[in-house]
Amino acid sequence: MAGNNGGPWGGGSGGGDDERGGDRKGGRRQDGDGPQIPEIDEIVKKGQEQLRVLMGGRGGRGSGGGSGGGEGFRFTRGTFGLGAVALALLWTFSSFYSVRPEERSVELFLGKFSSLGDPGLNFAPWPLVRYEIISVTGERIENIGVSTGNRGDSGLMLTTDANIVDIDFQVVWNVSDPQKYLFNIRDPQPTVQAVAEASMREIIAETELAPILNRDRGVIADRVMVTIQEALDSYESGINIVRVNLERADPPREVIDAFREVQAAEQERDRLERQADAYANTVSAGARGEAAQILEQAEGYRARVVNEAEGEASRFLSVLVEYQQAPDVTRKRLYLETMEGVLSGANKLILDRAIAGGEGGQGIVPYLPLNELPRGSTTTQQGGN
Amino acid sequence: MRKTSILLPIVVVGIAAALSSVFIVDERQKALVLQFGQITAVKEDPGLAFKIPLIQEVVYYDDRILSLDTDEIEVTPSDDRRLVVDAFSRYRIADVVKFRQAVGPSGLPAAETRLKSILNAQIREVLGSESVTSDTILSPDRRVLTNRIRDQARDSAASLGLEVVDVRLKTTNLPVQNLEATFARMRAEREREAADERARGNEAAQRVRAQADRTVVELESDANRQAEIARGEADAERNRIFAEAFGQDPEFFEFYRSLAAYSKALQGQNTSFVLTPDSEFFNFLDSASGAEAAAE
Repeated sequence: MAGNNGGPWGGGSGGGDDERGGDRKGGRRQDGDGPQIPEIDEIVKKGQEQLRVLMGGRGGRGSGGGSGGGEGFRFTRGTFGLGAVALALLWTFSSFYSVRPEERSVELFLGKFSSLGDPGLNFAPWPLVRYEIISVTGERIENIGVSTGNRGDSGLMLTTDANIVDIDFQVVWNVSDPQKYLFNIRDPQPTVQAVAEASMREIIAETELAPILNRDRGVIADRVMVTIQEALDSYESGINIVRVNLERADPPREVIDAFREVQAAEQERDRLERQADAYANTVSAGARGEAAQILEQAEGYRARVVNEAEGEASRFLSVLVEYQQAPDVTRKRLYLETMEGVLSGANKLILDRAIAGGEGGQGIVPYLPLNELPRGSTTTQQGGN
Repeated sequence: MRKTSILLPIVVVGIAAALSSVFIVDERQKALVLQFGQITAVKEDPGLAFKIPLIQEVVYYDDRILSLDTDEIEVTPSDDRRLVVDAFSRYRIADVVKFRQAVGPSGLPAAETRLKSILNAQIREVLGSESVTSDTILSPDRRVLTNRIRDQARDSAASLGLEVVDVRLKTTNLPVQNLEATFARMRAEREREAADERARGNEAAQRVRAQADRTVVELESDANRQAEIARGEADAERNRIFAEAFGQDPEFFEFYRSLAAYSKALQGQNTSFVLTPDSEFFNFLDSASGAEAAAE
């Protein structure tokens, strides 16, 4: 019977504080012991003695009068009064409670939800009203996929293109509705864990590897957050997901070298292209210079040739004018002047016509040691003009 | 004193009886009132309730959403690629009477065992069915599959008095034996990509170099063309100038130009003449009257 009796009270004491629980137990023990009448008297007597000791000086005086039965009974009633006052104080003490700014309390009147308590001093008259204090705005953090867990591959997830990605992420949550939080869900923290992991795996499973590793991290975190929140809302859990931090989204350790190799190859490709660009720039600049040089040379040639021609023509024309004024004299003069110049500097060997044997080359000319004539080139002028 | 010792037990017994006939159902609970093991009342709403002391007893059940994680199982979708799968379920005790009848006094642990086997069976059935391949599991259709598992589990669990709120697949991984092969494939894919990058780099570089070389040839040949044109024009201009000037008296030009050529070609110490003095230049070498006169 005592066990049954304790049931409803015990059921409600889940979050109650020890002090009150202890107090309540004391009261019940008295009830439970009630049927054993002789012991009750003993307990009352013991209680009197203890009170007397506790009350010090007054207790000493009381003990003097306590030898008489009538006086003892009168004194016992006063002791009960004091006990009642003490109990009242205790009751008051256990009925008031304080709620810190980041917390809310939920009050239950005989097990039924009655009100939410705001920060500050709150009153919940025991035993009719009981309360639970819940940290609401305080952020709680779940780490998921961190490889320090029981399995080394806990963060490994399969993508839609059957690749494996290693994901670590963090879910930060708090309580948006303390009433729902308290009444609708038994294991809030494991629930957040499980829902978060399932949501992340679900979203990874419909995404390809490459975008996960590169640009879609923020998008994935947002989608996971929305999915988790939807699931928790469907449980009416009163939990609010503050944010999802995607801390790591890497290829698995076993293949990360190959991914780094790709990055190195990308760098190398870039380098090769840039080197080729540099070559192209150098070479084509050189070619432009070369082309310009060729063109300028050609233009130089044009200028030189034309100028020379014009000079020569003009010289000729000047001479021609002179010539036309006195053709015979000028012609002779020109001829003589030229021959003078030509013959003055050259080696000359003048043979008489008879010796040379003008007709048919039968003179001495065939016998001349032409090779021994001074200096290379020899001009033989034979006969007349 | 005598009065008190009689009165006190009566009061105490009275209080005890009153208290034991009252019980409180918490907001988080549902309660059954049992009389010798038989259900006599269901208390689903929170608040104060009554029972007969000694004869009736109260059993409490949690009214919140409860959690259950299944163990990892291997499923083989229709494409024979094996996957390691686990799921979690969120459920609540919807019908306490049915629940009590189904699982008896052992309560939640027994219910969890049975729900777990229901879930495993449904997961195997749905993921192993004909139309489901591992690609379906790894696609947006996954949600459809989990909903199907949930709905089927919901039907089965209803007989236990349980309401399945949600079922979700958590892990869907390859078995450990297949991991190494997958890693090898991923490595090979990356190596292919790296080789491709390098080859493309070389290709682009070669292309750029070839284009540059072509540009060089083009530029230089074009410059040469223009240069030849310019030279040709210059030569033509010179010819025109000469023709214009020399054409005024071709006979004199021939004479004049011959003289210029002589003086240029025959100049210097390295020229030797072997002459007979009968050219016009030596006209007066033999006689003061001149060779012509002498010849007459």
